[in-house]
Amino acid sequence: MTITRRAVVRGLGIGMSMPFMARPAMSQAAGLMARSIPKTGEALPLVGLGTWITFNVGDDSVLMDECAAVIAAFFEGGGRMIDCSPMYGSSQPTIGHGLARIGYPERLFSAEKVWISDTSGGAAQIEASREHWGVARFDLMQVHNLVSWDEHLPALFSMKASGRLRYVGITTSEGRRHREIEQVMASEPIDFVQITYNILDRAVEERILPLAQEKRVAVIVNRPFRQGDLIRRFEDAPLPDWVAETGARSWAQFLLKFIISHPAVTCAIPATTRVDHVRENLEAARGILPDEKLRKRMTAYVEAL
Amino acid sequence: MMAEWATYTLADFLMFSPRVYFRLVERYNQGLWPFQLVFIAGALAVLFATATDGRRARAAAMATLSVAWFFCAWQFLWLRYSTINWAMSYGTAAFMLQSGLLLLAILWTDRAALPANSLRRRGGIGLMVFGLLAYPFLPLIAGRAPASAESFGTMPDPTAAVTLGALVAFLSQKLWLLLPIPLLWCAFSALTLLAMEDFGAWAPFVVILTTFALLLVRR
Repeated sequence: MTITRRAVVRGLGIGMSMPFMARPAMSQAAGLMARSIPKTGEALPLVGLGTWITFNVGDDSVLMDECAAVIAAFFEGGGRMIDCSPMYGSSQPTIGHGLARIGYPERLFSAEKVWISDTSGGAAQIEASREHWGVARFDLMQVHNLVSWDEHLPALFSMKASGRLRYVGITTSEGRRHREIEQVMASEPIDFVQITYNILDRAVEERILPLAQEKRVAVIVNRPFRQGDLIRRFEDAPLPDWVAETGARSWAQFLLKFIISHPAVTCAIPATTRVDHVRENLEAARGILPDEKLRKRMTAYVEAL
Repeated sequence: MMAEWATYTLADFLMFSPRVYFRLVERYNQGLWPFQLVFIAGALAVLFATATDGRRARAAAMATLSVAWFFCAWQFLWLRYSTINWAMSYGTAAFMLQSGLLLLAILWTDRAALPANSLRRRGGIGLMVFGLLAYPFLPLIAGRAPASAESFGTMPDPTAAVTLGALVAFLSQKLWLLLPIPLLWCAFSALTLLAMEDFGAWAPFVVILTTFALLLVRR
């Protein structure tokens, strides 16, 4: 059974009424399954929007409008969290362009990063990011790739205490510096941790995801498709005969459902430049999610390909 | 730390998509047209200089190359490329420095040129011809739109190729000062194109290898 992303997008109009399986600490926001931020109980849809590479389009007005359409479709589909970084080139102004076009939806959950080794420049960088987005304040500010985290975190906690931020977090990607991540999670009162997790990169299952549950830290998952590599790798392979049991109808949804079905995961943030793909990604947060037994079966199937 | 670096791949350093980059080049070319012709005329002057032993001609060639590097830095790297690649602020500074060094090189053109029939000089001219005439046709074999063509004076890669050719062809001193930036740029560009899986990545690699091969030739 070969299913392409395009075919699935065409078929999105049907099959949306699959039974919803209630899970602990989960709810539905705008029709999408959501999971609570452990420290506040605020619900976040399980699928968000990443912007690495995809939104770095410079001043190309055609491409900026394409990204604005993706943002519009993301909110139409019930999305909340958009994640970015000063490292992502022109992605911040692109987000600002898209949000301005749809009038800054109230349910936006803005996740940004501070990425500067000279921490005296942190406040100015955050302010520049805020101006690019055009928001009054960020919901979440993360220390990007642990850069000078021990100096940035006190400043971010101070901003949170004075109401200039709502949440504080740290990030890493591709399995790097996990010991340091664990150290920060264990010793600092952070609200979020952002890590790489997908069906082939599962190192975080050992220690970081259990630690997040223990410390009540929300988890954002980046690189759910390994920057599209997993989609390209599997798109010509058949989905398993039992794919309906997972609730997925494409490889993208199969891969996303594996990630967001882990109970420690709060939100996965796939990035895309296409409206049909953002809709398809959001659909992964509808319907049913695989249980632990099915997750193991999904892993075994993919590893055997 | 070594273990962490081992986890990086070339693609991890690419912060934009091939579509975005080549659209940027196409829009740049369309905005400049027909200014590219001015640089082609300048490049012909550089070629002419290599065919003579005249000191003034060599000085004019250095001045032309200096203007080309300045133009690439200002118009492409700073105003365009840096909008999708923050590292281009450093690239702009390096290109400005190279522009200044080429101006200084005018002072060093009073030494006798290499013999007209020397292999190194003929090879340098070949490299210049490659940068001038072959580069604009790279999109055809790389499967890209012709509008993404790169030409001397407006885009960094052919500018670096022509510069390296001119330097090895008829500058006999201070090469250690003038070659590093063009060579490093070619390496950076080749790796960027490789990360974008663009077939044109071989071109800057060939320019680097040819330059080193010519430097090894004694006459």
